[in-house]
Amino acid sequence: MSKILKTNKGAEKCLQDFLKHLLESGKAKAVMALSKTVATDQDYTLNYSLISSTEELDNALPFFPLMPANAGKLVSYLTLKGPISAPIAVVLKPCELRAFVELVKREQGHLDNLLIISHSCGGVLTFDSYLNGNLDQDIKAYWGAVRKNQIPDKVRPTCKACIHFEPYTADISFDLIGQDLDQTCQITVMTDKGESILDGFDVKWTETKADPKTAQDLKALRQKAKDGLFESINADIYGIDNLIDVFGRCIGCHGCSNTCPICYCILCDFESKDHEFEPNIFEAEIIKRGGLRVPPNTLLFHIGRLSHMGISCVSCGLCSDVCPVEIPVSTIFSKVGEAIQDLFKYIPGKDLEEKIPLTKFEKQEFEEIEDK
Amino acid sequence: MVSGNKSSDSIDLKGAPLSLAEGARGALLSFLRETLDNGLLDALLIPMKVPAGDSYAWVLVKDKSLLEDANPFAPIMPVQGARALSSITKHGAPDLRIGAVLRPCEQRAAIELCKLKQLDMEKVVFITLDCPGVIPLKDWFSDPEKGETQFQQLLEKGDFLSPQMRPVCQICDKMSAPIDVDNATFPDIHFALLGVPENKGLLIPFSDIGNELLEKTGQALSSDTQTWQSKVKEINAQKCGKRKTAHEKLDKEISGPEKFPKAFAFCINCHNCMRVCPVCYCQKCYFDSEMLKHSADTYLERSMKKGSLWFKPDSLLFQIGRLSHMSLSCVSCGTCQDACPMDIIVGQVFAFSSDQTQQAFEYAAGRNLDETLPMRIYQEDKELPEVCSMCKDVLESGEDQ
Amino acid sequence: MSDTFEPRIVGFFCKWCTYAGADLAGTSRLQYPPNVLPIRVMCSSRVDPVFLITAYLRGADAVLIGGCHPGDCHYIEGNYYTRRRMAMMKTIFESLGLEPERLRLSWISASEGPRFASVITEYTENTRKKGPNPVKSKVFI
Ligand code: SF4
Ligand code: SF4
Ligand code: SF4
Ligand code: SF4
Ligand code: SF4
Ligand code: FES
Repeated sequence: MSKILKTNKGAEKCLQDFLKHLLESGKAKAVMALSKTVATDQDYTLNYSLISSTEELDNALPFFPLMPANAGKLVSYLTLKGPISAPIAVVLKPCELRAFVELVKREQGHLDNLLIISHSCGGVLTFDSYLNGNLDQDIKAYWGAVRKNQIPDKVRPTCKACIHFEPYTADISFDLIGQDLDQTCQITVMTDKGESILDGFDVKWTETKADPKTAQDLKALRQKAKDGLFESINADIYGIDNLIDVFGRCIGCHGCSNTCPICYCILCDFESKDHEFEPNIFEAEIIKRGGLRVPPNTLLFHIGRLSHMGISCVSCGLCSDVCPVEIPVSTIFSKVGEAIQDLFKYIPGKDLEEKIPLTKFEKQEFEEIEDK
Repeated sequence: MVSGNKSSDSIDLKGAPLSLAEGARGALLSFLRETLDNGLLDALLIPMKVPAGDSYAWVLVKDKSLLEDANPFAPIMPVQGARALSSITKHGAPDLRIGAVLRPCEQRAAIELCKLKQLDMEKVVFITLDCPGVIPLKDWFSDPEKGETQFQQLLEKGDFLSPQMRPVCQICDKMSAPIDVDNATFPDIHFALLGVPENKGLLIPFSDIGNELLEKTGQALSSDTQTWQSKVKEINAQKCGKRKTAHEKLDKEISGPEKFPKAFAFCINCHNCMRVCPVCYCQKCYFDSEMLKHSADTYLERSMKKGSLWFKPDSLLFQIGRLSHMSLSCVSCGTCQDACPMDIIVGQVFAFSSDQTQQAFEYAAGRNLDETLPMRIYQEDKELPEVCSMCKDVLESGEDQ
Repeated sequence: MSDTFEPRIVGFFCKWCTYAGADLAGTSRLQYPPNVLPIRVMCSSRVDPVFLITAYLRGADAVLIGGCHPGDCHYIEGNYYTRRRMAMMKTIFESLGLEPERLRLSWISASEGPRFASVITEYTENTRKKGPNPVKSKVFI
């Protein structure tokens, strides 16, 4: 089902009130959303929180365009050991939701009792905006662009290129893109659960028609941005020498994999003993090459990681933001990931029922790669 | 490596002069090249410019033609040298005599890793240098070329107090061989720059291997080292003062249950700081392990208790817990801070806290290879009266069984 | 270059088919080039894609996976997964400009000794023509 409702209340206020209603009515015991956490001298210290009191809900800023962690990974962390026994509402950005769905497919989380609220997404600002002191200005410009259905300037490169900016599997989605956000709020009710949970929320909704043009226009813009982005990253990484140039500065912190929502392994293969060299391997390698970068396996980590999770990369952009040496990790993973996903006609996180391509097969396929 | 007794023993140290006409880098490299040439060393572990030219990486070098791009005085420390050395030797010493060209804090971390059985020193010849500090990675990457020139200039000027270095480098009072420390472990060879007259550097051997290397490369120990020693002591003293002031200031800013969380308010829990830390060697960090993962209902309960629960939870537990795990071995190198995407002053905080924990046990990370890690020993009835009232009574009454 | 260059090929062969095929080629005294380092695996699907990347980065001039023909895998469907993974690996190599031709997949059954010999011969010559894997001499991998 899918139903579009409109009311004359600002979008942010509407969501705030709705979340409050959920807590007060007991339809949800808690809400996971971005919120102000520790107060510092600077205003915006944002993190995700699991909020259970209505007072604390005042600190929630669910639409704030920042992604300190991929919330899909956090909801997986929350529900890893089993489903939660009381209903919880989670506010996820579309790529966070897709990441969570991929994690559920990998048995790293449980959907039971979760009410999923999402929204059409203008992207998130890079950590730079967060840290450089211009956040207020950047935020203003951001919402200006979103209202006009344009691509905001300071968002992550992969956000500019993201064509999956509307959620696939939410219960309720707030339409933010191309909307007048102060006067009205438009939502898409995507499931029966969403419908039933709206019941009793004291707001006058009027049903309206979908206007597919807004999304189509943005998609066209983003597609163009994506083509440009992929073309330029291709020029940077193509071939072994370019790869060495791009990853030469990697310091091996593995922040990219550690924060990646798809990289869920308790002990990453590339941090395990399997890939440590015995002393004799060093000897052999330096005889062969004249010298060897240590610690070894910088490229193995990145290419290996691509082979492990590229199929499910949701292009959230977190890995680039977290990289202390500014390697465009997410652009690379997004591009190569898409190539793998296209091969199997797979869109990660779009459909919970669709199996991960590497866990299934057709009897007749890819015969062109076999030696005859 | 060799452990000496008294700092005063070093008064008579001799050094072999090297001309700095080609710069400090050129001088040291030409000596290192010779050690490879003569087969005195089989390989060198040394920072090298990466092919793109925008950074440095550790390379285990066998072919001396590669040394063209090597730079023992790299302006940055993208990876802590002890970590690189540990990756080579943690499963045993290779059949190679490796010359490891390290900064003093990297040698200290190597000593800690050796105690923690993560590094095998047997075949390693330690070569250290007077260290002016390193440029923070973020500054470096905004303009690597500028960073290169800047660093070159302050090396030439002998400016070891530059405010352009990592914050913890600016307050590092151990930036040379530990001649001013009692009972310290010394490198095999130290390359001295500070206070050496006539545009020269000095290769100072501390061990038999060090002496052998110099002898066989024809380096005569013809210079005394007094001017270097007094300059090192002078700068260390100056920086020690700065360290005290900086830590007093930090104490006011971050100590206490109200203020400490604020220092980490921007932390996104990426754990980069832990993974680049040379002494955080665990394959699987406790704070990333299953031990800390609980049922959804537990988290819900925790949230209900406070009204809200920061997610991912246990962010401060990680910081304080990590301090409890490794602060006794923290060498104040600042690598963690360089790796933090959120500009948290994690290196400064850890340097500040670990000074205190190390003082409490009269321990100094990396000072002496033979000193036992404080958590591996205890003195019955004789220590830390402030934590246990019974011990206190015993100590005060002067009873001692 | 090509007269002195002897390709080094890493072969992952499934125990039930290709490895047995290699045995048969041997006992039948068939001639084939000695350039393959065979590694026996229980099934072609045991070959983790990371094995391929490791072999490539450590300097193998080519990597070959050998398994049972589709439908004949002793674990029923292992080789179908292998094929998907190989398709993925070739795509990754293509996207990164890393010579997907150096990765190959062959179905050789236990009774196909001659086929084994001819695949190895063809493969060795092909790799010889291609020249050495450039990664072999790189320091900064
Ligand atoms: S790179 Fe692979 S092994 Fe490591 S965390 Fe990601 S998926 Fe797991
Ligand atoms: S690889 Fe990077 S962009 Fe892709 S899902 Fe992981 S963190 Fe997001
Ligand atoms: S975050 Fe950046 S520096 Fe760290 S491992 Fe990933 S690419 Fe390398
Ligand atoms: S914090 Fe503790 S458990 Fe984690 S790596 Fe460091 S020492 Fe090991
Ligand atoms: S590197 Fe920085 S943001 Fe990441 S866990 Fe450490 S202190 Fe937190
Ligand atoms: S057993 Fe031969 S491919 Fe599976």
